[in-house]
Amino acid sequence: MSSAVAAGAILSTPFVKTSWAADETLVLYNGQHAQTTKALVEAFKKATGITVDARKGSSSQLANQIIEEGAASPADLFYSEESPPVATLAEKGLLSPIAKATLSQIPKEYHAKDGTWLGASSRCRVVAYNKDMIDAGKLPGSVLDFATSAWKDKVGFVPTSGAFQEQIIAIEILKGRDAALAWLKGLKENGKIYNGNGAALKAVENGDVATALINNYYWFSLAKENGEDKMKSALHYVGHQDPGALITVSAAGILKSSKKQETAQKFVEFMVSADGQQAIADSVAEYPVREGIKSPYKLLPFKEIGAPAVTPADLGDAADALALRREAGLA
Amino acid sequence: MSFAIRQRQGRARSPLFLTLCCLPALSLTCIPLFYVLSRSAEIGWEGSVEEIFRRRTFDLLVNTLVLGCCVTAGAATVGTSVAWCVEKTELPARSLWRVIVSLPLAVPAFISSYAWSSFDASLQTMGGAIFILTLSTYPLVYLPVAAAFRGMDSTYEDVSRSLGKGPWETFFRASLPQVRPALGVGSLLVLTHMFAEFGALAFLRVQTFTTAIFDSFELEFDSRSAALQSLVLILLCLPAAYGEMRLRTGGRTVRSGKGVRRPDAFVRLGWRTVPVQLALAVLLVFALAVPMAILCYWLSVGLSAGNGLSDIDDAVYGSLSLAIPGAVIVVVLALPVVLLSSRHTGGVSRMADRLPYVIHGLPGLVVALALVFVSIHYASALYQTYAVLMAAYAILYLPLAQSALRSSIALVPSSLEELARGLGRGPLSAFMSITLPNILPGIGAGLALVALELMRELTSTLMLAPIGVTTLATEVWSHTNDTEYAAAAPFAAMLVVVSAVPTYVFTRRGTKGADIE
Repeated sequence: MSSAVAAGAILSTPFVKTSWAADETLVLYNGQHAQTTKALVEAFKKATGITVDARKGSSSQLANQIIEEGAASPADLFYSEESPPVATLAEKGLLSPIAKATLSQIPKEYHAKDGTWLGASSRCRVVAYNKDMIDAGKLPGSVLDFATSAWKDKVGFVPTSGAFQEQIIAIEILKGRDAALAWLKGLKENGKIYNGNGAALKAVENGDVATALINNYYWFSLAKENGEDKMKSALHYVGHQDPGALITVSAAGILKSSKKQETAQKFVEFMVSADGQQAIADSVAEYPVREGIKSPYKLLPFKEIGAPAVTPADLGDAADALALRREAGLA
Repeated sequence: MSFAIRQRQGRARSPLFLTLCCLPALSLTCIPLFYVLSRSAEIGWEGSVEEIFRRRTFDLLVNTLVLGCCVTAGAATVGTSVAWCVEKTELPARSLWRVIVSLPLAVPAFISSYAWSSFDASLQTMGGAIFILTLSTYPLVYLPVAAAFRGMDSTYEDVSRSLGKGPWETFFRASLPQVRPALGVGSLLVLTHMFAEFGALAFLRVQTFTTAIFDSFELEFDSRSAALQSLVLILLCLPAAYGEMRLRTGGRTVRSGKGVRRPDAFVRLGWRTVPVQLALAVLLVFALAVPMAILCYWLSVGLSAGNGLSDIDDAVYGSLSLAIPGAVIVVVLALPVVLLSSRHTGGVSRMADRLPYVIHGLPGLVVALALVFVSIHYASALYQTYAVLMAAYAILYLPLAQSALRSSIALVPSSLEELARGLGRGPLSAFMSITLPNILPGIGAGLALVALELMRELTSTLMLAPIGVTTLATEVWSHTNDTEYAAAAPFAAMLVVVSAVPTYVFTRRGTKGADIE
């Protein structure tokens, strides 16, 4: 019997594409958090009547997929949780320029210098610490201080995370290559390596490690899930223009291979519009890139972050980070 | 009464028809190989040497081998012991145990590693990884070995016992040799599986070669370095695949005598019934209940509980409509490969038999990207349709089906088919009337094994499924990725529950028709 059921299931599934989607439907490869994109896509549909089909995946896997697909990619748009995957596509010449009118809606440090991608929301690097294990007052004023023997086995970090690469580049830009290398070597010597940001934050919550270098929104996501009052960890904002207070962005771009350039431009335009920004800000604990949008999360006011003068556009695809990690024996 | 013989089967040249039937499986398997080789070649000799001969590469290699070898040893021991207890003893409620002990394979790696790493930070080390991965991979040995136990002739054991040998000696001298092919391929499966493992290491502080390959893809977007590293994994798989084949080509153990398989004589457990049941129960607490407990914990504390629950029907349908046809396709593709390689010698036979195991050591991401590349350039109309997705499943899971089938086919004497042919049956008719009924346990185990893996498959499904198709595994991933652990819990629980269905159907069917009538 089971083989008959299976055979039926095979026959009933479409093995070959039978019809192409309607012209007005966009295909979005989505690496951003699913809820955020869902909210954005729904708001876009409401505003324009245009449907967007999203393919889920991790940002970097989707970027690799787009690179393999090349000119034949079915994707019209790519929305990434962090900017380096989008910047990589731009570098490989796979993205179209975004309309100037759209780019002018946001501060210029939040889009690529050549206008091929834009930041859709921003967040900052932070130090998550376990409140029972360490006093907030004892936390250092610079992220560079963690790479010392005073922090032996007390700091968790994720050398393979995208934002960590960006932080390496920020240190390189602000303090020089030697400082970045020394920092990595110090972390390797004294820190605890985790394979993911979620795992590092979980380790802080569990008391396995006192602190971890992560992005602010991981903490807010977990606080939203567990209830803020139940959190054993809190966030420490390094501040005063230290690389530990780096701002990074989620980012989006239009595929050059898309046959729906105009419609795709509309979507990107909507992303930075007041309605689009509100939809994003409501669904994820990140800062809107447009002035005058309020987040429902209890974010530290943007002006108080004390971010260093390194912009997402400066960071690019963070390719040099690997060379540094290799020299430090971390890759 | 029939007599046990060890015989070396006639290994004739392969018939053309059977060889042709192997070509689909063989050519699919060549796709990732072709991709990895051509991408690696782009780096050039000098670059390759520089890339590979680094201290870091050596460290990762050691980690990969330690993890692979220890988990394989653990899974082989646990899998064989469980299979023997379930299939060869008078275990009460056998058919229930049979299904439940397979289910740890359906638990998403993310969940088991999250669960165990929550209990104790000391499990986030290599020792912990070995422990956790042994618990989640022993079904890869259990299912083929159990199928072999089901299909074997207990005459050997009768003879052993009649010679006054004790139960242990009977097990090692009479039972174990008969399931050796299944144990060998099952172990090879675990070993290559470990080379490709990634997801389970997310919460464990262990880095292997595969985590480095992900690094190359995720941070450098460099498929050439990743391909070169993948090539190292392939080279690691080669000696294992070769060694397993050498082990197997010694004496062959087949059923014999009049062709009537004596009904199984189960070992009486007596006072040992309770301890055996207790041991199985402890195993299941570790392998199944602990991950399930974390789901309950997520549900009880998480504020996202119930989010997205209305999508669960679609996800269940998506999972089943991919896993069941996928399992059937994979088993159908594997069948001629196993028939050819167990009955005939020759280059094609050896290639078709070994290559899928070697490819099994590649991370799923590499296989998926190879298919993206090949299908979009050479069969763009099929890209992101079920056709390419099924091809990906076949490449990923052929060895699972092969392992399960091999054990059954090895126990059917080819002389029986020859006899049928001698009586005027055609090759197909001889296969249908003699071979097929006898290898049903293997087919059932193969379907169950592949379906279980397909239920939790993630990377290829995300990349290659038609847009909008969701499965339980993709939803678990999506919710956990968004830190909505409580929302993920029902999907994960459903994943394990739904996985029981194909396992129950396929392994149950396998118990019937195992006799040569």
